[in-house]
Amino acid sequence: MLPTVRAFGDRAFLLQWPTVGYSEAASAHALSVSHHLRGLGVFTDVIPGYDSVLVGYDPLRMDLLAAKMRLETELPIVPRTFTLGMQHDISVDYSGPDLDAICQSSGLSRDEVVHLHAAEPYRVCMIGFIPGFAFLSAIAQPLRHSRHATPRAHVPAGSIGIAGWQTGIYGLDSPGGWQIIGQTDSVMFDPDREHPFLFSAGDTVRFIPS
Amino acid sequence: MSLEVIRSGAKALVVDLGRPSLRHLGIPLSGAADRMSFQIANWIVGNAPDAAAIECALGGQAFRFTAPTRFAVTGATAAFSLNDTAIKPHTHHLARPGDTLTFGPASTGTRLYLALAGGVEGAAHFGSRSTYPLAKLGANGGRALAKGDTLATGPEQGAPNTLPTGFAPRLSNHITLRVRSATEYEQLTFAAQRRLFTQPWTASPRTNRMGARLVGGELSLEAAPDMVSSPLLPGTLQVPPDGTPILSLVDSHCTGGYPRALQLILADMWLAGQIGPGTRISFNRCLMEDAPAILATQTALWQSLIEGWQP
Repeated sequence: MLPTVRAFGDRAFLLQWPTVGYSEAASAHALSVSHHLRGLGVFTDVIPGYDSVLVGYDPLRMDLLAAKMRLETELPIVPRTFTLGMQHDISVDYSGPDLDAICQSSGLSRDEVVHLHAAEPYRVCMIGFIPGFAFLSAIAQPLRHSRHATPRAHVPAGSIGIAGWQTGIYGLDSPGGWQIIGQTDSVMFDPDREHPFLFSAGDTVRFIPS
Repeated sequence: MSLEVIRSGAKALVVDLGRPSLRHLGIPLSGAADRMSFQIANWIVGNAPDAAAIECALGGQAFRFTAPTRFAVTGATAAFSLNDTAIKPHTHHLARPGDTLTFGPASTGTRLYLALAGGVEGAAHFGSRSTYPLAKLGANGGRALAKGDTLATGPEQGAPNTLPTGFAPRLSNHITLRVRSATEYEQLTFAAQRRLFTQPWTASPRTNRMGARLVGGELSLEAAPDMVSSPLLPGTLQVPPDGTPILSLVDSHCTGGYPRALQLILADMWLAGQIGPGTRISFNRCLMEDAPAILATQTALWQSLIEGWQP
């Protein structure tokens, strides 16, 4: 299915796939579209979401209709699937402050929660929020849990969190509202490293309980 | 070394034109919040438009020069003095070693720009010296300026310029921002859509470079499914379930989880960069056909004066 193409302000379009919850097909298609559009070099921003892509254009170089026509021409020729990128094994100390809350809401023991969270590899669906924050594909149903009503003022870099069906890794120390179940020593983002970002969208991540 | 920080005030940062096109990696634009005042300051001292300068929030800062330095101050309205002599904004001055430049409190607008001939030196990340403290990117070790920090300038880039009369941007403590709708605008109730455009909003005390919470009455949302984390741009207005809208600014998170109701037009982003605690804001709908013309006219005017000016 092709996404809808809708104007977003005076310098962007939002490509939106109709999904309810997590859709592996929509995420793969969105990543494939992002990869293709970035390669064209005509758009100022190509920002993938789980089920959408925000595409920015320079309104001094391209008018709204030309940008829309270009997108509508390109979309049908983009492959619907995306070849996964690198695979990462991430060692996790599952002793986060909200692990007990997840045990309570799921009715599972600590070991069962850890086993379930680390059972399947995840896809990196998007990087965003703050530098290096990795938004991963959906977690098993029993682990799903809403965000904290009031975000914590300080969540350390490397924290593994849960928000609804999403799981993710904090790239930096920052405020945040996700339920924190674990911690990794892997550094998601280091601006002084040759490759500042550990992950790219499309990579696969396996959590290894330490 | 050519400048030492005596007082950093509420916040002072090294800024340039930032890091465009990296939002897919979580890297915000950053850089000067008011790109118009920033580029004017650089032009006055003879710098390229993207040379690094110092952005000072709310005034109250003081700097000591340690080398002969040509400088200019633009942006928010405040009293300035070099040693004990009052000086004017929007023109160039020459400081001698030992001179102290002091900013009074900002009375109109929020952010002042201090450009130094040759531009501020410092580490660049992803092509920009702009300080982004959350990720420790840019000059001064990625930190906001603090008392005792010193900054160096590069070699002079060109002859100073005189701003023609009438070109200094006029600021106001009640600004009107022109907007287009964003993709979840229809999730607002009809009453909320009306309210957005018919009443003024006030930026909350927690307003900063990341964003402004706008107080002025709750905006109700139609019952809508929970949103997943989705992309944002600087100038996106989100409406969370508590009904208090959030306007994202230059350091904003690259994704958000709330319905996106409005998007500021690019031509008015500089004005949004002058929003501070207590600023009053009205929204004005910009027609689809008008937005490109407004941007083209603004760009042509400034590029006729400043080579390389960018919206």
